[in-house]
Amino acid sequence: MSAEPRRFVAYGFASVHDALAAEDALKAGDVAVTAIPSPRALGESCGIALRIVPQDAEAAESVLARAGLPPRASAEVDDI
Amino acid sequence: MTDAAPRSCVYLDHSATSWPKPPEVVDAVVGAMTVSGANPGRGAYAMALAASRIVFESRRACADLLGVPDARDLAFVSGCTEACNLMLKGLLAPGDRVVVSSMEHNAITRPLHALSLTGVRVDVVRADETGRVHADDFERAVRAEPTRAVICQHASNVTGAIHPVADLADIAHENGALLLVDGAQAVGHLDVDLAVLQVDAYAASGHKGLLGPQGVGVLYLRPGLDATELLQGGTGGGSSEDEAQPQGRPERYEAGTPNTPGIAGLGAAARLLIAHGAEWRAEEQAVFGELKRGLAAIPGVTVLGPAVDEPCAPTLSLVSDRLDCDRIAFELDRRYGIAVRSGLHCAPWAHRTLGTLETGAVRIGVGHGTTRDAAAAVLAALREMLS
Repeated sequence: MSAEPRRFVAYGFASVHDALAAEDALKAGDVAVTAIPSPRALGESCGIALRIVPQDAEAAESVLARAGLPPRASAEVDDI
Repeated sequence: MTDAAPRSCVYLDHSATSWPKPPEVVDAVVGAMTVSGANPGRGAYAMALAASRIVFESRRACADLLGVPDARDLAFVSGCTEACNLMLKGLLAPGDRVVVSSMEHNAITRPLHALSLTGVRVDVVRADETGRVHADDFERAVRAEPTRAVICQHASNVTGAIHPVADLADIAHENGALLLVDGAQAVGHLDVDLAVLQVDAYAASGHKGLLGPQGVGVLYLRPGLDATELLQGGTGGGSSEDEAQPQGRPERYEAGTPNTPGIAGLGAAARLLIAHGAEWRAEEQAVFGELKRGLAAIPGVTVLGPAVDEPCAPTLSLVSDRLDCDRIAFELDRRYGIAVRSGLHCAPWAHRTLGTLETGAVRIGVGHGTTRDAAAAVLAALREMLS
């Protein structure tokens, strides 16, 4: 494995319900999203986080704001 | 394992629990125990996410069915009894006064009794002799003294009478009180829209008219009305490091691993009711009306509750001047294979109101799948036994 790790943005939410609702909203907004175990860097967030590529962050945050599901926390994470 | 399969029966105990469950409900329960059998909300591997999705989609389906705009305002609980306990114990405190109807089920009266021992004052508004609750009686009681909550079932589990919940909501709110409703016998059987009813809290059973499995129910709390949770524990959400229970909905009220198979089945049932509920309710009412009219015409039989043609949930109770209720129920089962329930139906207050506390009654509950043949069978059997 010599390739550089890929960077992502992870969003944490107040609850699993909110995380899954946010996943639906992002998919409906054509933002590619993957559910991942919540990284420790997200602190007081639920056990499920959502991961997107950094270039989609602005669009993602706009979608989530419109859906009334602002992330509780965000962090940059590496792929493994 | 039991040593004998249950024999087929004419099932008329839908007020206790619906049976048989739709195949889609059974499939959903099995799916949640097999292909999606992980613990929801606790992990992010594929099967855990699938389980989390089941709970999420079921909550949304229940919210859509019940007219709840934000699904987070619905908490999954073990049943209507837990929902009633959470609603009452989570919202009432020593020194509060509540006004409650005399038709309530033990799921309401027993928590209220426990609360009365802590200093909650319980004032009962008596229904009329047919078990109907009158809004003006509540209005007088609520206006008489400061009141924290008005409490009333939506429909009677003894007579099927539908109570004026929307009017009670107005009365409660005009007087600074909450309206707390036990909807066990209404959901699924009536077109329940909580946004229209303007209730503050509504407890519902998942396994009666909603056609889900036993062991699941829901509690609606309107936005901004926070009850103190009954249980604290792991929720999957919030910060696991935090000593305090997360305060967000729905996790606040759902400590511990949920009943995912039950929730899956309830979600499947809710989706069916969204698609077919209006048609199924019309059929239930047609069969129920036919049955009630026939029973009322049997000499010596008294059908308790509202008049034959008044709107009701599809539940009725009857007494006979010829046979005790327990004997009727036993003979219906033994001789005719007809399942009904005798006794007080966990509602001694209601039977006291109706004058049947000493005798009990025979209860017949119609539900989804009850056929005209089933109604005809019980009519023929009772005519033979009681005429």
